[in-house]
Amino acid sequence: MKHSIIKLILPITTAALVAGCASSGVKNPSGVPVTRMNADEQGFVAGTGIESQDLVAVTDKMARSILGIPQIANAPTPPIVVLDPVDNQTRFPINRDLFLTRIRTQLNSKSAGKVTFLARDRMAALERERNLKREGAVTSSSDPNVQEFLGANYFLTGTLQGLSTRTKAGTSDYILYAFQLIDARTSAIVWEDAAEIKKQGLEDAAYR
Amino acid sequence: MTGDILDDGPRMIAEGPPRDKVLWQYRTAAAAMRQGKFDLARSLLDDALLTLGGIYGPDSEARKSRSLFSRESRKTFIGEPYERAMAYFYRGVIYWMDGEPDNARACFRSAQFEDSDAATKEFAGDWVLPDYLDGLATTKLGGDGSDALRRARANARNISLPDYNRNANVLFIVEFGPGPLKYATGQYSEQLRFRARSSPLVSARIQTGGVNLAVAPCDDVNFQATTRGGRVMDHVLANQAVFKSATDTFGDAAIISGAIVASQHSRNNVAGEVGLGLVLAGLASKIVSASTTPEADTRTWDNLPQFISFATLNLSPGQHTVTVEFLNAAGKPDPKNTKTLTLNITDANHDKVIFVSDQSTTPQTL
Repeated sequence: MKHSIIKLILPITTAALVAGCASSGVKNPSGVPVTRMNADEQGFVAGTGIESQDLVAVTDKMARSILGIPQIANAPTPPIVVLDPVDNQTRFPINRDLFLTRIRTQLNSKSAGKVTFLARDRMAALERERNLKREGAVTSSSDPNVQEFLGANYFLTGTLQGLSTRTKAGTSDYILYAFQLIDARTSAIVWEDAAEIKKQGLEDAAYR
Repeated sequence: MTGDILDDGPRMIAEGPPRDKVLWQYRTAAAAMRQGKFDLARSLLDDALLTLGGIYGPDSEARKSRSLFSRESRKTFIGEPYERAMAYFYRGVIYWMDGEPDNARACFRSAQFEDSDAATKEFAGDWVLPDYLDGLATTKLGGDGSDALRRARANARNISLPDYNRNANVLFIVEFGPGPLKYATGQYSEQLRFRARSSPLVSARIQTGGVNLAVAPCDDVNFQATTRGGRVMDHVLANQAVFKSATDTFGDAAIISGAIVASQHSRNNVAGEVGLGLVLAGLASKIVSASTTPEADTRTWDNLPQFISFATLNLSPGQHTVTVEFLNAAGKPDPKNTKTLTLNITDANHDKVIFVSDQSTTPQTL
């Protein structure tokens, strides 16, 4: 009789355990505390798209590269540069100003005045201020009727192009980040550099 | 549930099961777009697409959804490829409305990409409108959109796609008819299927001033849902169904055999114990079988349209009244679905993107 009871309890216990496993709780039920990450490191949330570590790596490389060219390094006066928005041809929507903004901040903070950038994105506010000065509505430290807005020596711009593949083995996204410095007078490309990043990933079979 | 998606959706997103969050974001975004609430749709789609873009690598809930004893619907919903493609498509439309045709193009490319690994290769990456709009955006941005146009034309069925008109400043995105629903078949509902809902609407007509534009469907979402072929998950569920069936059959056989053997108990003590063991093993097998859940995940983005299409116009700055009619196979409009839009064109050089659905509220001022 005792033997039979053991035989009965064993499968029932096994079945109960199995059923229990099937209804286990959600992932990280208590959440994950806020984790401060460096912008140049891959976080625990990652996709195959454009991420902060890519932005940092690419813009750092471009800023270093620009500073080394003779047109910048040997210029008697700091060349004047205007940013022209990058052309995003990838399959990832992005804030296209991010790349040039970071290159500009890197150059402004690390080049010790070797480059001057123009705030063309603020032209509306600048023109409004100039008009107020011309009308005498606000003070002016110089003759407001003299044109002092600078013209550009160079345009800094770039193109993001992608090549994406999806097969049973996963998703692959290659992105070519190419940047150019263009002479505003001659249209000559005086500098160009590129960075390439390729990412691959495979989602759980439940999503395939 | 109130039945109003714009009430129910946000509540389900905030308070419902996390695994269904993206589903409700999809549904609510589509409904919001039809009511002209593009800010709401934008934020919902952005969040949903973040989830969609971050599904790579191990996911414990997805892994459990593949296990014998958990339903597939346990996984975080991101939708089947046609649903993901439509999420990107809608987001692309909103990007273009916001004056970001490059990001719109990125979304249209992602929409097409979602369809690129179909098991049936003939139907991989065969959406028409995302490719057409990809090329149109490229043309508008000063590039060469001819490759995308060629791809779109190659995939187009029963529609002749026009050359790009760089000067057209109004782009209509038109959708109509009800999209597909999911259901499950098979002994244990382990086979995912799609049901096309019938609609009398087969085309649309846009009228403003002296303009009368016929709009034929570019893409049929039902077609996209039903032509991808099998999923990897279908094999998992089929194996689970086999396991469920086998353990159930074994359980039946063991219980019956055990009962027969145990009936010899009076003559043979060993036979009695063997018989009892068989019955217990059979019961355990039946329990395991009953616990196996091969049911396919039938959660559906149920307010998708059947057809999506487009039209382009060149309108001068000023106010324009536009009528959009949805037509049946005989070319007759359904008055209940006729939409009246008041367009304010402020700049002839700036694209105005108009989204209109047979489910849109009317009138709308855009």
